[in-house]
Amino acid sequence: MIGQSEKILRINLSDGSIETEILADEFYKLYPGGKALAGFILLNEMPANTPVFSPENVLVIANGLLTGAPVSTATRYVVSARSPLTNSYGESEAAGFWGPELKMAGYEAIVVKGRAEQPVYVWIQGDQVEIRPAEHLWGKQTAEVQELIRQELGDEKIRVLQIGPAGENLVRYAGITNDLRHFNGRNGMGAVMGSKNLRAIAVRGDQRYQSKAHDPDSLLGLGRKLAKSVRENPLSWDLQQRGTPGIVEPLNKGGILPTRNFRQGVFENVDSIKWEVYEKELLTARRSCYACAVRCKREVSLNGEVSRYGGPEYETIGAFGPNCAVGDLQVIARANELCNAYMLDSISTGATIAFAMECFEHGLIDLEDTGGLDLRFGNGEAMLVMIEQIALRQGLGDLLAEGSLRAAEAIGGEAGFFAIQVKGQELAMHEPRGKYNVGMGYAISEIGADHLVVAHDPALANSESITFKSAIPLGIEEAQPVRSLSAEKMKHFYILEKWGSFEKVVGFCFFGPAPRSFIHPDDVLLAVNAATGWNQDIAGLLKIGERATNMARIFNLREGFSRKDDTLPERIFQGLENGPLQGEPYPRHEFQEALSTLYALKGWHPESGIPTRERLRELSLEWAEELLPEKAE
Amino acid sequence: MRLHAGGYLTFYLPQRKSPMELHLAQPILLIAILQKYRIPKSEVQLVSVNGTQVDLETALVVDRDEVQIVSGVDGG
Repeated sequence: MIGQSEKILRINLSDGSIETEILADEFYKLYPGGKALAGFILLNEMPANTPVFSPENVLVIANGLLTGAPVSTATRYVVSARSPLTNSYGESEAAGFWGPELKMAGYEAIVVKGRAEQPVYVWIQGDQVEIRPAEHLWGKQTAEVQELIRQELGDEKIRVLQIGPAGENLVRYAGITNDLRHFNGRNGMGAVMGSKNLRAIAVRGDQRYQSKAHDPDSLLGLGRKLAKSVRENPLSWDLQQRGTPGIVEPLNKGGILPTRNFRQGVFENVDSIKWEVYEKELLTARRSCYACAVRCKREVSLNGEVSRYGGPEYETIGAFGPNCAVGDLQVIARANELCNAYMLDSISTGATIAFAMECFEHGLIDLEDTGGLDLRFGNGEAMLVMIEQIALRQGLGDLLAEGSLRAAEAIGGEAGFFAIQVKGQELAMHEPRGKYNVGMGYAISEIGADHLVVAHDPALANSESITFKSAIPLGIEEAQPVRSLSAEKMKHFYILEKWGSFEKVVGFCFFGPAPRSFIHPDDVLLAVNAATGWNQDIAGLLKIGERATNMARIFNLREGFSRKDDTLPERIFQGLENGPLQGEPYPRHEFQEALSTLYALKGWHPESGIPTRERLRELSLEWAEELLPEKAE
Repeated sequence: MRLHAGGYLTFYLPQRKSPMELHLAQPILLIAILQKYRIPKSEVQLVSVNGTQVDLETALVVDRDEVQIVSGVDGG
């Protein structure tokens, strides 16, 4: 059964050892993959203050218990380590086919320690695991490397997870790709892989998920039902039709499209980058992840050729478009290609370039610093040059490769105000001044500004809406305005954060479960129980999520993070410059009160933010008490 | 009148296509049009007529108007 005798693969690149570990069933029930398994391993196997680029930084790649199940959107895996961008708990999820393939090869997770003397890649084919030389792959772009690995191993169906030159060059927001079209973008996990001289992990498996499931018939029946229902739910239907690029114009209409480094909420050239233009100029096909009927991925054509990297998602359009004031979809698509070829996080790359543009316009950096590049807002060609400079650590790109926070510290003056980041990670392209719980998520997330902590505020703003009704089984009771930080709103946050964390544990995509999309919580529960036979209830699933969040919190407390780090960029506490929300700030005083309310709900000390011993015991985390700073009660 | 649907509201339009063209002989409450086409007002977060945000419950529209309705938009 799923959940019994799950295996993890342990690889030490320093001495070349490869071992398999069988997880105890009772252990797995508490830490059923993904964020939970990764958090446990990081807390227990890595000392505090481990330098991020040292061989001792532990890299965990973990499937969730449902990853690879024949159920739409259950495709995700987590990559985790101490983050080079934030120095905090690091984490990034991706979907695609690689995670399910690892499951088919028989592994729930891979734990990588040490550092290889020379570049290597790992080849996993069931029980056969090899560390192979990768000097011939080093320095090459991702598409070429995938082709070379498949040729070398003689199988076109091998799934390849890899970093690119940006990860090799230790760009602090370098990402990881699988199949060239799916990305663990955030938090610099690619740089950690690069620091270990690990270029890629290639996988091939032949086990079927359902053959191991407790009740395969129920699981397959659920999968078929969900596949049919995708087109009957407006949210999943819209994801299939337009994907994430479809939200550009609606966000602009609401005045919450981050523009010019979060100064504005309305972009004057939105008509050049909206979905209708994308569909006409770029789109060639709709693509999917493993066994997923949503098909939200876009395939695009550039210069007459179908891109191997897939099309830009909303975050990429937002980061290189409005946030850099570039209103040219072709330029944005080229930026997307460059990020994926070099394997950079497109959010942090775009946001860091927007930061540099604002510094340039304020005279904090000049033409001498930029090597003659006119790095003003709106200069798309300069933006493209800067992406390559960042990936290759050339010129000003070497500084920007450190992320906006470190770059601001080096530049000095008011540059710190222009770095729109939390804990060192740049905000994603969602405006907190129009969605207060998104802002709270940016502030409190253990990985720095993360837009996927909770379902966004509009989902629970109207008690008659389909999204609100779908969240009732989670314990949501009362609709709340999008721009509210009331106690009831913090209750929303507390519940949704647990639910979102649970999704990251078991391998669900943000675009699967309600309230963001079409899978009712009862069907999520059915999937877990059909896979494992655990007879869980919704409260049990929420507890799994809360346990994982608390482990990440403890990791950060151990590294010296505290309440003062749970905040927002100063600019966000000031008013937007244009649009329907012009002049509206994120309310600073209410934010502090709401944070205290939320800490109380989470069972965290109101001042220190340290989980109480009572809450840790409720979550079966007694073992973590000794890791807490002394202020714990 | 042209009715543009933003966010996931296109789902509710005939043939799931936006914009929808309507010929109005006289001014009519926008909410009545939504009711006629079974577009749930609970899913509508923002309404604008000719670029100006208006109240869904009271908005009157005429034949030459460009009307936009937008659902709540989540992330991803």
